[in-house]
Amino acid sequence: MQPEKFYYDNKIVRNFGIATVIWGIIGMLVGLIIAIQLYQPAMNMHNQYTSFGRVRPLHTNAVIFAFVGNAIFMGVYYSLQRLMKARMFSDVLSKIHFWGWQLIIVSAVITLPLGITTSHEYAELEWPIDILITIIWVVFGINMFGTIIKRRERHIYVAIWFYIATFVTIAVLHIVNSLEIPVSFTKSYMVFAGVQDALVQWWYGHNAVAFFLTTPYLGMMYYFLPKMANRPIYSYKLSILHFWALIFIYIWAGPHHLLYSTLPGWAQSLGVVFSIMLIAPSWGGMINGLLTLRGAWDKVRDDVILKFMVVGLTAYGMATFEGPMLSLKQVNAIGHFTDWIIAHVHVGALGWNGFLTFAILYWLIPRIYKTELYSKKMASFHFWIGTLGILFYAIPMYWSGFTQGLMWKEFTPEGILKYPNFLETTMRIIPMHVMRSVGGALYLSGVIVMAVNLYKTAVRGKLVADEAAEAMPLEKLRPEASNERWHRRLERKPVLFLVASLVVILIGTFIELMPTLTISSNIPTIASVKPYTPLELQGRDIYIREGCVNCHSQTIRPFRSETERYGEYSKAGEFVYDHPFLWGSKRTGPDLQREGGKYGDSWHFNHLMDPRLMSPGSIMPEYSWLIKQKLDTNTTAVKIRAMQTLGVPYPAGYDKIANRDLDKQAKGIADNLAKDKIKVKSNKEIIAIIAYLQRLGTDIKANKTANN
Amino acid sequence: MFRQFTEHIDGNQVYLLFSMFIFLVFFIVVTVLLLRLRKQHVDYMSDIPLNDCTEETPNPLKS
Repeated sequence: MQPEKFYYDNKIVRNFGIATVIWGIIGMLVGLIIAIQLYQPAMNMHNQYTSFGRVRPLHTNAVIFAFVGNAIFMGVYYSLQRLMKARMFSDVLSKIHFWGWQLIIVSAVITLPLGITTSHEYAELEWPIDILITIIWVVFGINMFGTIIKRRERHIYVAIWFYIATFVTIAVLHIVNSLEIPVSFTKSYMVFAGVQDALVQWWYGHNAVAFFLTTPYLGMMYYFLPKMANRPIYSYKLSILHFWALIFIYIWAGPHHLLYSTLPGWAQSLGVVFSIMLIAPSWGGMINGLLTLRGAWDKVRDDVILKFMVVGLTAYGMATFEGPMLSLKQVNAIGHFTDWIIAHVHVGALGWNGFLTFAILYWLIPRIYKTELYSKKMASFHFWIGTLGILFYAIPMYWSGFTQGLMWKEFTPEGILKYPNFLETTMRIIPMHVMRSVGGALYLSGVIVMAVNLYKTAVRGKLVADEAAEAMPLEKLRPEASNERWHRRLERKPVLFLVASLVVILIGTFIELMPTLTISSNIPTIASVKPYTPLELQGRDIYIREGCVNCHSQTIRPFRSETERYGEYSKAGEFVYDHPFLWGSKRTGPDLQREGGKYGDSWHFNHLMDPRLMSPGSIMPEYSWLIKQKLDTNTTAVKIRAMQTLGVPYPAGYDKIANRDLDKQAKGIADNLAKDKIKVKSNKEIIAIIAYLQRLGTDIKANKTANN
Repeated sequence: MFRQFTEHIDGNQVYLLFSMFIFLVFFIVVTVLLLRLRKQHVDYMSDIPLNDCTEETPNPLKS
């Protein structure tokens, strides 16, 4: 049998590489802007399209799906071809994948600042874009499996198992978390409500971290680290154990994002136990990576690429130790909703994803351009400024998180809250926020230096778009191969491997999700909880559009420190009409679940017009456009019908008369404001959002009044 | 820490234990499969990334 000559497609790798760098700089720049907004509200630019609530999702989506996403595809397209000894299955599919993914990102850049959002964290994009993501993901899958099928290497190396698990799990997560009913081309309602929606979202959110930010990167580590160090992985057996244990356990850990919430206790406990178990496979991966460098530490001293890898792996180890610790209820009670979580996330994102991406770019770009890196000094500068940037980012955020978490909980000896004014805790951490933005700026400047360095490298060399290679075609298996060990057989059957991975992730998914989604006793209903009025429903959609959920939670945990500050703790039955849930994950401002009736309508009006008028020193953006913009009541009927479809008990035919009730309630609020000498027409958006804010958490009080 | 679990799982202990039992069985199965892998095969698999058949890395076919 003759060896076959073929060519690796380096052009697609280069394209994803360029996209990684460009979107990385944009995503981080947006991150820097919103970091400054948190101590300098003027950076919101007095404009709805650049206000924190709308732009924060742009930052998270840009760094996760644009920067990391493109980096994943760059790494996968480079390593998959070489591990399979085959060119990508189809150049056309590669191109569709590349341009389709960039189209998705551009759609996000356009729609998020417009306030078009589902409000599900890291899944904010609306339903047409969800469909586009599904199509492009399938294109990627076909291209990947096509390549695997036409391979010249019989056995599938561990890196590709991680890619397969990534592909199948992200598909499942994306579909389930995007189950929504469209009400227009740019608006939809989540199928699940309240507790159920929260569970689905955090099953997704946690596993997006697992299967988008972790498993593909572990796959890339298992390919690129041996290449960089020029030695095989420390333990192949450990990589197998690590792989199966990681994908099995990760899928269960989502509920640790909902501790002390109204999620059933057993689901919270399951989440905690599996989160703690997760340390083992995570550290198995980190140790396997670091020990690959055993006997090569002298290389680490001189080789900046290996330095990036070592710090990246260490950051992974720290983040995956800290995650399980944060899932302990006692620790979570202090850390949740604070900047501690922001610090935790950024150790992972800047250290693990960022540094691995940079190492791969520095390793790969000179190779596909057949030249040397333009400047090792610049790369070394990038490494040090990047590391300093991470420290300057993380340390102030940890400090800020501990400070705020403890201040929220502190009581005086007389038994009253020591810091009853939430704003006092916000103002205390502003210096830390300033320091954090300095850290972010250092990190970003390193990335810009890298971009220049890589550009100069590319200019110096010439892209080998089609890199020649030779390998034997696969022979037919001899009959004795059927006696092979089970796992060895699995390693050459990609479809079976996909099914096995799918089964493993579905076990945890079903056991954890199904009872809450199907057994009604998990969510006791409350008779006095009624559907939102049409005006409140419209107001709620404005609350979603403005991204209020990015800073304000709507869930009060059963701690005295929270019930004293916010009011009665949350009950599962209060959220049954909340499509989607709006519990939030961060308290940059106070919780709003019992906001209804706390202040008068005129307070809300003035506060939204200029928060510093009512709360001097507040860092909240102004929302003056709500006073000018007219509420679109043409959508009321279709929204009511969609809610009816989802089981919200509006009377039959209510959609036709809903606007009559809406006008009546709006006039009441406008009249109320007029009494306080505030002249505003009843058809403005601010009236709707005031109606919603005044409704929040009041149903349960009505229950008490009735009982009395 | 464990008291926290036993006190708060509201009669659903069986759920937690069942979940952990599934993992235990799964873990044991994978471990047994690993122990049965031959060293020769493990070495072969570990070396795959170092051999991508381009000019830069030595092609075993030509050696």
